[in-house]
Amino acid sequence: MQRLLPRFPLTAQARRLSRWLLAVATSLPAAALATSCPGADPEALKWLDRMSRSSHQAAYHGVVTLQRGEDMQVMQISHSVSGGSTSEQLTKLTGQGARIVREDHPLDCVHTGHRLLQLGAALGAGECGVAEYYRFDVSEGERIAGRQAVRIRVEPLDMYRYGYLMELDRETGLLLKSSTLGRGDLVLERFQFANLSYGSPMPSSADVEVTHEVLGHPLPDSAMSAEDLQGGWSVDWLPRGFVLTEAESATASGRRTFTDGLAAFSVFLEPLSREIRSGEGIAREGSTLSYTRGLSLGGQPVLVTVIGEVPVNTARMVADSVRWAR
Amino acid sequence: MTERMRESLSALMDGEADELELERVLKQIGDDGELRATWVRYHAVQAVYSKQAVPDLSIDISAGVRDAIQSQATSGARRWQGLLRPVAGFAVAASVATTVVLGGQQLASLNGSPASVETDVAMGVSPVGMVNSLGATSVRASYGTQSVPVLQPATGTAYSELARQRMQRFAQEHAEQAALNTPQGMLPFARVQRITE
Repeated sequence: MQRLLPRFPLTAQARRLSRWLLAVATSLPAAALATSCPGADPEALKWLDRMSRSSHQAAYHGVVTLQRGEDMQVMQISHSVSGGSTSEQLTKLTGQGARIVREDHPLDCVHTGHRLLQLGAALGAGECGVAEYYRFDVSEGERIAGRQAVRIRVEPLDMYRYGYLMELDRETGLLLKSSTLGRGDLVLERFQFANLSYGSPMPSSADVEVTHEVLGHPLPDSAMSAEDLQGGWSVDWLPRGFVLTEAESATASGRRTFTDGLAAFSVFLEPLSREIRSGEGIAREGSTLSYTRGLSLGGQPVLVTVIGEVPVNTARMVADSVRWAR
Repeated sequence: MTERMRESLSALMDGEADELELERVLKQIGDDGELRATWVRYHAVQAVYSKQAVPDLSIDISAGVRDAIQSQATSGARRWQGLLRPVAGFAVAASVATTVVLGGQQLASLNGSPASVETDVAMGVSPVGMVNSLGATSVRASYGTQSVPVLQPATGTAYSELARQRMQRFAQEHAEQAALNTPQGMLPFARVQRITE
């Protein structure tokens, strides 16, 4: 059924049904896990749920800074809601004058990464969600952009993801500030709101050179594990908790993206016309890693690249597990 | 190869393994071909970091590793165990790792003439559209009494350059997914150096 999804436009009813089926299918193993996460902090999970919903459902605009090492970028972000859909945009105020716009994003459209955070009723049923691979600690935060914040310290429970220090608006749950922490609590990236207004429309915007309009968006209908992929190629190993962001047919291309709700990485496969000397290389910018490996896959020379906000050992092991589908 | 073994191996390569993990890997590596192969592949990454020569991964050097391990083992399991305990885990890991790298280089020298290695390197990166402007050449360096062709950082540098180019090419596509699936909303687009329409 999953294969047919994107080919024929489905009625809302059919889509709801398929979601329900998926929910039933995924809740079965969850029930077994009910007692496997005694250390999970329900308060933290509640905050993550709120954070995820508010980022999509609230109307706000403000100025945001992004710090990566010595580099600091400033941008304007706005998010508005009208008639059951949202539109959002990001305008870079430093460096390249660019604007990214996403319009008509349905309010009830919950993508894979956010579904992993929005445990809702499942939380009550004892599901751990992200608490299976992160440890959370909630404390009082400071004021950020004039708003009182709640601080959540997020520590990875394995070596395949980074940690975070997140500060959420105590009233709305909106993420106001977030630091990505590498080994030894090294700050790889920090973003935060410098000012923030709720509700009111955004004031006139800055000059831009490039506007990128994100047209449509992939169906988040299925959260499959790597083994379910058919055709082309597959990633046979993933760190626990990472799932595909898109339905299968959308990933027939040379890319697969995976998320655990907090981090994401994409795997790109490029077939080469002839042999390349085997080897590996990395490039970094802030928390973003690009890991490229040249290898021969079943006699076909390929280049596998992992790009994302994950440590190099994750990228290395994921690239190591890329196979042609059987 | 089990998940746990993979983790131990990864930790070992990152210098984060404790003695227990090290022992686990060493115990297993003689019997597990897949583990050896993975070890060799992981090693190429470290070689890139430390700007050492990257061993040619097309050559199966696992036999060399096993021989090295076994020759140590046959000289007395107790001696091997005894060696583990007093010596810091890292030192042992490093010595085993060195065996792997040197084994690779020596086998590389047996496998082809330096001239053919040079051609491989000089031409190697062009299929992906990168101009060889990095002066990728092989030089002969001696290690002990044996003359071994060592690839100067060329291969490593070329791959770092490839990784950088891939980041430029794919960052926006990744950001579109990250923007939909991570908590920071549109922010992932700010990580893209140059947005294209």
